Amino acid sequence: MTRYVIRRLLQAIPLLLFISMVLFVLMRNIGDPLATMGGRRVTRSSDRERLTRQLGLDKPLYVQYFYWLIGNDWTKMDLDGDGVAETPGRMRGVLRGDFGTSLVNRGKPVLEVIWERLPNTLLLMITSEVVVILCALVVGVYSALRQYSLTDQIVTTISFFGYSLPIFFIALLSIYIFAVNFKRWGLPYLPAVGMFDPQVGKTPSQVILHMVLPVFSLSFIYLAAYSRYIRSTMLEVLSQDYIRTAKSKGLPRRTIIFLHALKNAALPIVTVVGLDLPFLLAGAVVTERIFAWPGMGRLFLDHVSRADTPVVMGILMLISIAVIVFQLITDIMYAWLDPRIRYD
Amino acid sequence: MKRTWLYTLLAAMIVSALLLTACGGPQPPATQAPAEEPVEEPAEEPAAESAARKVATFIWTQEFDTLNPYYTNMWFSAITQQLWNAWAWDYDDQNAPHPVLVAEMPSEDNGGISPDGSVITMKLRDDIVWSDGTPITSEDFKFTYEMVVDPNNAVASTYPLDLLVSLETPDERTVVMTFEEPFASWQATLWHGLMPAHIMRPVFEAEGTIDGAAWNLKPTVGCGPFVLTDWESGSYARFVANENYWLGKPKIDEIFMRFVPDDASQVAALKTGEGDLGTFIAYSDIPTLEAEGVNMITVFSGYNEGWYFYLDPEKGHPALQDARVRQALALGFDRFSLNEDLLLGLTEPAATYWDNTPWVDPSIEPWPYDPERAKALLDEAGWIDTNGDGVRDKDGVELVLTYGTTTREIRQDTQAVAQQQLSEIGVKIELFNYASDIFFSSYGEGGPAATGANDMFEYSTVPNFPDGDTSEWLCREIPSDESPDGINWPAYCDEELDALFQLQVTQVDFEERQQTFYQITRKIFEEALWVGLWQDPDIFAIGPRLKNVKLSGATPFFNIQEWDLTE
Repeated sequence: MTRYVIRRLLQAIPLLLFISMVLFVLMRNIGDPLATMGGRRVTRSSDRERLTRQLGLDKPLYVQYFYWLIGNDWTKMDLDGDGVAETPGRMRGVLRGDFGTSLVNRGKPVLEVIWERLPNTLLLMITSEVVVILCALVVGVYSALRQYSLTDQIVTTISFFGYSLPIFFIALLSIYIFAVNFKRWGLPYLPAVGMFDPQVGKTPSQVILHMVLPVFSLSFIYLAAYSRYIRSTMLEVLSQDYIRTAKSKGLPRRTIIFLHALKNAALPIVTVVGLDLPFLLAGAVVTERIFAWPGMGRLFLDHVSRADTPVVMGILMLISIAVIVFQLITDIMYAWLDPRIRYD
Repeated sequence: MKRTWLYTLLAAMIVSALLLTACGGPQPPATQAPAEEPVEEPAEEPAAESAARKVATFIWTQEFDTLNPYYTNMWFSAITQQLWNAWAWDYDDQNAPHPVLVAEMPSEDNGGISPDGSVITMKLRDDIVWSDGTPITSEDFKFTYEMVVDPNNAVASTYPLDLLVSLETPDERTVVMTFEEPFASWQATLWHGLMPAHIMRPVFEAEGTIDGAAWNLKPTVGCGPFVLTDWESGSYARFVANENYWLGKPKIDEIFMRFVPDDASQVAALKTGEGDLGTFIAYSDIPTLEAEGVNMITVFSGYNEGWYFYLDPEKGHPALQDARVRQALALGFDRFSLNEDLLLGLTEPAATYWDNTPWVDPSIEPWPYDPERAKALLDEAGWIDTNGDGVRDKDGVELVLTYGTTTREIRQDTQAVAQQQLSEIGVKIELFNYASDIFFSSYGEGGPAATGANDMFEYSTVPNFPDGDTSEWLCREIPSDESPDGINWPAYCDEELDALFQLQVTQVDFEERQQTFYQITRKIFEEALWVGLWQDPDIFAIGPRLKNVKLSGATPFFNIQEWDLTE
């Protein structure tokens, strides 16, 4: 197993290099960071020419990539445009742990930009994932045990209703019902946006209160897929011979369902969850935007729209690394859950 | 039991994230503005005082990128500067300048402007101080100037400080600026913010640049009516009243700025009272907000939405080289109904690029909607439908024009209406839409507007409001392979117009300059070089709790220290 893990990690190095190259080229071609610089007017031509030089955007693409990768502190830059490179570069490069500085939040290190948002995203996404998995287990197992019952039909209908609705609709609808209209009707209402009420401060109870609607929206959408998955794998397992054997042995129903059936039905679920986990880091673009949640999804969107290559590359590389790591963890989990699987 | 660790791990991750996000965050700050020294906060704020605290919440749909006035082009950052930083002078709700850092506006009468207009002398007020108590002196102006023009600092724009030949500070209260030639646009462009030398100079001396200075992103020492206490990325920024503000302590204790990028969520927050002020409100949301008691205030900040034509004599469409065709397009599109229906009558058709400034020849009226006259002009220009396909043509060239703009909803709606109406006068329009960062890309980056990828373009821009100067029509600004950053995207060069633009920027006498602008506006209007669609105001939604609110087009929050909050 150890050799397998080491081999997989070594294989990841050229893969990450290749990914970084492709992403860098794509990023530098999807927008112009100096077009308006977030303003309402086009950047003045003299400023544009100066900034292109100062930010190193006048260099050929491969040079920009190498500076991003290995830094430019070993060479000198021409910042004043006199044709003489006299100012030492300041980037140390990704390989030395420096992802550069943001073009938008000028001068702010990329890792700091990302780190400020990551806890918020993890809080929202992990909570939603836990709620989804727990609810999906209850709904999926119940539906499998009472296949085609009235409850199964109702639950299936509701979950498909949620699955087929776009998340922005659920999110806005929940704001208008539980925030706007509840307040209008004089009922206890939930906050519409943000993480806390400025009059109260950022206390854990405020954060939890402000999480209710975004978590509800995210869970409602993803519950259907997970619960259907659990239902179908449970149905498959429940028809297996060993379940019939367990029943004929007279084992309690609870033991059969949770010990024999659910554990064996868990393998495909682990695959789905394992593949989903790295993307939790990416946040939920639409949900974060609507509820003004300061997470990674919004960070990505804001910086992509201004072609902020260093920050977007930082986010994408973080997700790429997470995908590789979580896939490895998923593979290891397989072996733990199913003793028939061996990697050595 | 085997999975206990898994549950423990999950629980630990949630608790850690909760702690990281919540416990690291601030509680509502004390009313005292922060100084360099840590402020002593009372251990427990009395409940009555806390309840009486006046906190106004602003909803910003875009988060500012940086707060250093010289490192940003963002409108949201610029208007926020009114809270915590100061312009040397700002503008009231009539867009008249009034002094903030200076004792009086420089003029020829008080010796502030030399007779030839090339030397401007500012006399600073005696009582101006940074929020930490340090006096603001001419040294701060000199330092700011030196930082802006230093090539080690990647500021957003060096204009107009790069036009200075020298900046001298004969004493602590005097700043003397010498330009190479008279600079008429000084009032609207100079000193949009100040950097504190006592904080930034050590950074520059240590690092050789101020690009990474902590003050840029967290300027807790400022010189406005409020002081920044904290800014959490993506979430909020908090400003508290500046006790040291020389124009009077604000009546509101705290401005809490919440970043809400979604328009519908902004509207919901304004309705629930979670926001007291919002801006960039969609026209379609105005009626519902007004029904909830939210006041809508529109202010003109010099932006006018209009059509630009790609007029390159070789690469442009041949029809657009003829002024009669351009005039016909203006006459064939009912901009009055468009303003009434799509913009709810809140604005009106723009006649010129300079509407809502004093630079427009008062005899100019917007082009009327007159499709018959439009058809006659096209006939006169020789564009006639010879093959009966419903589209006019001439010398084998069909009058088919491509029309590009961004993906903004109101622009797409306008495109659709124009396409339908112009087809009725025999002009076929093909529509193109681009993401705004692509649309506004430079010639060097292959931007569609800059390279003339379409025949006509729609967007809104502004001169140096409330001044009229712009370099957008100068011949030297036509982009090319040799000059890829040029911003004369219509690629129009007229020697007479070019000379007028070069002249006005040197005319220090207001009336002389106004006459030059009258010639400019008349020529651009009559030849339909630019066709106005609507005057593009800034729309602010003001919640019912906010009182005494006045807004200016140039510096919206000019009297924010007088605003009050009532329950």
